[in-house]
Amino acid sequence: MTTQVVPGSFRDPSGFLFFRDDGIYRQINQSYQDNYDHLISSRLYSTLVDAGLLIPHEEVDDEPVVAETAYKIIKPQMVDFISYPYEWSFSQLKDAALATLAIQKWAVDFGMSLKDASAYNIQFVEGRPVLIDTLSFERHQEGRPWVAYRQFCQHFLAPLTLMAYSHINLNQLLRVYIDGIPLDLTSALLPVRTRFRFSLLSHLHLHARSQERHSDTQDGSARQAQMGKNAFLGLIDNLQSAVRKLEWRPGKTEWGDYYQSTNYTEASHIHKKEVISRFLDQRRPGKVWDLGANTGVFSRLAADRGIPTVSFDIDPVAVEKNYLETKNGGKLILPLLLDLSNPSPSIGWKNEERLSLLERGPTEMAFALALLHHLAISNNLPLPRIADFFHHICDSLVIEFVPKTDSQVKRLLSTREDIFPDYTQGAFEAAFSEFFQIEEAVPLTGSERTLYLMTKKSL
Amino acid sequence: MFRKFVKYLVMALFVLSLFPTIAFAYLDPGTGSYVLQVVLGAFLGGLFAIKMYWRNIRTFVANIFSKNASGE
Repeated sequence: MTTQVVPGSFRDPSGFLFFRDDGIYRQINQSYQDNYDHLISSRLYSTLVDAGLLIPHEEVDDEPVVAETAYKIIKPQMVDFISYPYEWSFSQLKDAALATLAIQKWAVDFGMSLKDASAYNIQFVEGRPVLIDTLSFERHQEGRPWVAYRQFCQHFLAPLTLMAYSHINLNQLLRVYIDGIPLDLTSALLPVRTRFRFSLLSHLHLHARSQERHSDTQDGSARQAQMGKNAFLGLIDNLQSAVRKLEWRPGKTEWGDYYQSTNYTEASHIHKKEVISRFLDQRRPGKVWDLGANTGVFSRLAADRGIPTVSFDIDPVAVEKNYLETKNGGKLILPLLLDLSNPSPSIGWKNEERLSLLERGPTEMAFALALLHHLAISNNLPLPRIADFFHHICDSLVIEFVPKTDSQVKRLLSTREDIFPDYTQGAFEAAFSEFFQIEEAVPLTGSERTLYLMTKKSL
Repeated sequence: MFRKFVKYLVMALFVLSLFPTIAFAYLDPGTGSYVLQVVLGAFLGGLFAIKMYWRNIRTFVANIFSKNASGE
């Protein structure tokens, strides 16, 4: 029996997560007993689970990790893929924020309150944002303000407002600031017009000012102020309407362009789908990562077969479009933002709190469709290094070779010197053969591209 | 509206003096965030009460009409 405490689970003394043999468990400490019992007996737990807002768990008799402090061990439902807020599109972060506030409203109805409002406590399960931290609730003490208000503003409201009003890529600040974007920075970056909206003026700009004003306050009397239930609910209600009103609308042309600016004929597109479908049926992978997925057209082939599929792309517009489509079906797809030339690193204390992309792998099958030329030519990555990367992340690989004669590659080379004499199909096969067994190579009808199915070699 | 806000603020400060307790939590709510939240809550609580009151009136009226409609 091997037990390993999850490195990112240490801040809250109520308990912690650990891996043991067949899955993930959570130790609940005695200090949290009263709150846990109330969560269950008040039926808040079952209400939230039924509403799809809280991860379900079962109580188990397993041996605790730290017996002296343990109250119970629970086994939460496993999440297919842990993702982080800096990997989410605008609407994913917005839905996660609204889920957090909806949970808080339910909690208040049942005499409890969220004691934290971390975006990292939300994960996407079958396309929906779900709270995965069962220990986030505490009994609400009448008169006490919301202890997680600051955290909610930093983790959700600040990045969403920056994305909506300043630049969509400012969610990347969450990579730098693990406890959410500081409000003084947010306030400085936002345009003046955000000061004319009451909710943004108060929750962000005045909030930042108040933090600055009280930064040196030593005396605790400022923390003795109370707020009534209406004030408490009014604050949450106002946050909810502030988040709902935030919108991001990319330009029309950007939305429309996908799959029209490629050089595929209808016939080659259909053929490509057929070949990928055949590879999937042949291999029947348990999970798929589609790298450079665009809006997820090929991810849907895997998801339609009941395979949980992570659909990565560098373009926030594509990821947003992909996510909005998954909300109308395709719940097994998790669209995520990812720059493959600089994938999510491990961050936080000891670089262990949030996992890098590679630490969250490997996956059973990876797709690299119309991706190779972007890595090799746009990013100057040598083919053997690309092969080595894929060897790290997957057991089998579906990869498309796009030759220099292809119009997309010609376009990439039109503005720069061709310093890639080794970018040939022969060199590609040689480089990948070092790491993979090439099972099949299928030329795509009506194009110069070839689709490969490869199996990882044990080196 | 402003008078209501002031009334809430005065009430909040009054309640503050009655319960001189410090809440402890594993997250530091931050003094600035705490103070702003209480002041903001006093104002938003008033708005929220009005909103709920108005919603109840609308539901009441809607119920009357739906009863009439179903009675016809």
